[in-house]
Order: sequence, then C-alpha cells, then structure tokens
Amino acid sequence: MNANLDQLFQAEGAAKTGGYVIRAVDVRKVYRMGDSETHALRGATLDVKRGEYLSIMGPSGSGKSTFFNMIGGLDKPTAGKVYIDQVDIAQLDPYELAWLRCRKIGYVFQSFNLIQVMSCLENVTLPMAFAGVSDEDARDKALDILERVGLRDRALHKPGEMSGGQQQRVAIARSLANSPDILLADEPTGNLDLKTGEEIIQLFSQLRQELGVTIISATHDLKMLKASDRIVWIEDGQITRVNTPDELHIETAEVH
Amino acid sequence: MEQVGIQKKLSFERAFKIAVQGIRIRLGRSMVTVSGVVLGIAFLMSNLTGQLIKQSVTAERELRQTVSLMQAMINSEVGDLAGKHLAVATFGQLTPPEKALLASLTGKCQLGGDAKGAALLLILGDAPQAPAALDQLTAGMTQPVVLDSVSNRQFTGPPPATVRRELFFGARLEQEATELQIKTRQAQFRTRWIVIVSLLVTVIGVSNALLMSVTERFREIGTMKCLGALSSFIRQLFLIESSLIGLAGSIIGALLGAILAIVAYGFTYQFTVVLSALPYGWLAVATVSSIVTGSILSVLAAVYPARFASRMVPASALRSTV
Repeated sequence: MNANLDQLFQAEGAAKTGGYVIRAVDVRKVYRMGDSETHALRGATLDVKRGEYLSIMGPSGSGKSTFFNMIGGLDKPTAGKVYIDQVDIAQLDPYELAWLRCRKIGYVFQSFNLIQVMSCLENVTLPMAFAGVSDEDARDKALDILERVGLRDRALHKPGEMSGGQQQRVAIARSLANSPDILLADEPTGNLDLKTGEEIIQLFSQLRQELGVTIISATHDLKMLKASDRIVWIEDGQITRVNTPDELHIETAEVH
Repeated sequence: MEQVGIQKKLSFERAFKIAVQGIRIRLGRSMVTVSGVVLGIAFLMSNLTGQLIKQSVTAERELRQTVSLMQAMINSEVGDLAGKHLAVATFGQLTPPEKALLASLTGKCQLGGDAKGAALLLILGDAPQAPAALDQLTAGMTQPVVLDSVSNRQFTGPPPATVRRELFFGARLEQEATELQIKTRQAQFRTRWIVIVSLLVTVIGVSNALLMSVTERFREIGTMKCLGALSSFIRQLFLIESSLIGLAGSIIGALLGAILAIVAYGFTYQFTVVLSALPYGWLAVATVSSIVTGSILSVLAAVYPARFASRMVPASALRSTV
C-alpha cells in the first residue's frame, strides 16, 4: 500500500517537473579571491530526466566540478537557478539543505571518502542515523544494501582492510542508505584499475535498473561514457555539447 | 505536499559515541594533544603542591621555633621545670604555638588554673582584652611574675606595682614576621604569573593540535556533511573530543604534577617531613581545581577549531586533493 502511494507521488512529481529530477537554468558562479574574480560557470543550462544516467565530461578547470557541486546541492549559484526535485536550492536554509543531501542525493567520491575509523556497516548506517532511522532498522537496511553490492560478509571490516574496488562498493552502499533519487558520482572509477572500474560501472547500471535512481557522474572513463544515456561536455564554464554514446562511436575492448 | 524537511539533530549519545570512536582509532594523534594538556596541568599542579608543601613545612618549622622560644623564656624565668607549678590563664582562643607549648609542658611540670604557689603565671590566648585584674590573677603567688603572649593586652584595674609582666615576643619578632609575609606574597605573585603563562601555552598548544586534526579531517568532515550532518553536529563532535582529551590529560597531569612536586621537595626537605606536613584536604582541592581548569581550558581551546570545522563547505569532500 505504501509502495503504491510512493509510486503515485513519484508519478505525480514526474508529471509536475515533466520528468526532470534536476533542472539547472542559466547557472553562473563567480569566485572572488581578493580583487580578482574567477568565472567558473558562465550560464549553464541542463535538464536531467528521472532515472537517467548522465556523464559529465570536461578538462580540469572547465567548471565541471563547480557545476557538479551546484546540481548536487553542495554549493549555491551566484546567479541562475538550480532545482532539485522542483525545489530551488537557493531558497533552502542549512537545515533544509542537510535534509536534502541526506535523503535526496547519494554521493560517491573518487577517493571513496569512507570514514576510516568506522566499520563498513557503521559507514552505511551513518546517513541513516543522520536521517533519524532507529539503530535496528538502519542495521537491517545496511546489511541488505551491503548484500546488494556483494559485501555483506565484510560488514564489520574497516575500510583500510579492503581493496579499492571493495571500498568504492561500500561507498556506493552508503550513498544508497536513505534511498536517494539521485546518485552523484565524482570520477567513481578514477582511483580504480580497469577491471574493478568495470565492476563499479556494472553495479551502477544494475542499481539504475533495479532502483530507478538517477545517476550523474563526472568521468573520463570511456567505459563509463559508453554505459551512460547522455554525455554533457563542459568547456570554459559553459555546456558546449550534449551527446549520446552512439554519436561518439566509443570503442572499448576487454582487458585480460 | 512537503518537499523538503528540516534535518533533525543527532542525539548527544550518538555524537559522543562517534567522538570516542574517533579518539580511540586516532590514539597516537590524540595522545599528542593529551600530552599538551598533561604538561600544562602537571606544571600547574606541581606549582600548587609545591606551594602547599613549602607553606606547611615552613609553618611547622616556624611553629617549632616559636615554641622553643617560648620554652626558653619560661626556662629563663623559673630555671628547671621539674616539680614546678605553673599557672595558666587563657583569654580568647589559643594560637597554634600556644597549644603546642601547653602540650610540651604537660608532664614536665604541674599546670593549673590556680595561681596559688605557682612560680609563674602564663597568660595565653589572642583576646586583646582580659576581663580580670592582674593582682587578682596573681593572688597567692610568692613572686608574682607573668608571661604574656599578647603585648598590648588590656587588664581591668590599675597596673599593680608588685606584679612583673614580661612578654613572650618582643617587637623585633613582629617586624620579622611582617617582612616574611611580604616576601611570601611576592613569591606567590611570581608563581601565579608563571602558572598563568603556562596555562596560556597549554591552551594555544591544544588549540593548535585540534586545528591540525581539523585540517587532517577536512575530507571526513566534508563527507559527513554530504551525508546529512548538520554544522552543529560537527561542532559537537570536536567539543566532545576536546573535553574528553582535556579530562584525561588533566587527570594524568594533576597526578604527575603532585607526585613530581612531592618527590622534588622530598629531596630538599625530607620525605617524612613533606608527607606529614602536607595538608591533604588542600591537596585534594588543588587536584580537583586543576582537573576542572584543564578540562575547561581544553574546551575553550576547541571553540575556534570546532567553529572552523563546522563552517566547512561539504564540497571540499569532493576534491580529491586535500
């Protein structure tokens, strides 16, 4: 019954936003350092559909990270609007922003960013603790998610005792803890070798199919680009191209 | 439909658990911070204990000197004490040297309130007014001689010609006492300054160590914020950590400081003297106040680093090169 209601609400939300989970409208960002101004973003506009798998490409210094932070609710634009699930994030106070980050968005980082002093299980339950989920429920759910990423048997290990690929899978499990609508991944395969990187890409695809989460990732990984629905190119603070992988003719081969 | 809610604060218990976990895992790093507190509080405590020891040892020494002086006075008046009868009249409260004198006299000679047949009358107590006349007090003495401990004590009635009134302490002694008081006050002032400076150094040291641990944990703090942590939670985390570090460091420091001071003064004087002279009640007060001071200062030292950490933007967690 609840699940049905959720679906109803989701459908309603999708209808209102025209199926867009994130809308960025003419986003500009200026960093001031003393007297000098740096225009990191010069008017970027982008709509992200619910359930889409989007990759963002761009050389370093292009404003890619800034744009990424904007649509992830980590930073506020100087001008323009960013709507996450129809909500203008510029209007939110710190408590509402924390709420949004906690429940609507899951973050996956290039360097995993697991809390080293906590076990895998504690890392996954932490966002649920922030969301006010009871310890028992959080534990059960965390174990379920760890099962999904294939690491249930390592639940009590510390991140330092695991390989990079395993750590990234724990990080993905953590990002899913509060069932977010959006998964934001910053070069998630950047610190991994080809094979483990591929496993992560497969995991993303699987999660999107099973959970219907929207995945946005900044990446240079060709395999990741190939798996995505759309590729957004950012150069010099502006979105210059939006392609589908088919248009790009990406050739990747297996490495054994 | 409510689209965005308000993030609730995490319980203190939860924050406490996370803070303790952090300290335990980063034990090496935490120990450095703890040792800063230990040093500062050990210094404070050794100063306080030293002062207590010095005061009580010199006080005891002075007491003994005063008593022997009083005994010498009595001896010069009556000669050998054996078999003599001394009368004692007390007005007001007995001072510590007077008490010690009486204790030393008991057994050596007869003490009594009745002056009849007494070789000497001791007038003791700190009251400046005696509600009696000297001739009444000395009634029955063959040679009325009085030894008084207060030089300007007033008696009722006119001063009798037959009674010889001598004083235990002359004017010279009183002058010496006031000089000594000034010297001790100066010494106290000096040590107070040293203690204040050392505590300042402790605060800055702890503050610096905590700032270091904030910069080390940039990414961790940013990550926690990405996961939905409120700024107040981050602040709470650092304040709990610093108060625990402060408490542990202060307890160790206070014990260390007290032991060091006792050992050091034990070599200067004697261990038995130091241990017997030590006022244990005051030592406990000094210990508790040192521990409280250390804990409060550690929390104060954490205020800036905690603010700094809590104001960090979550985006810094995304940057891989921190």
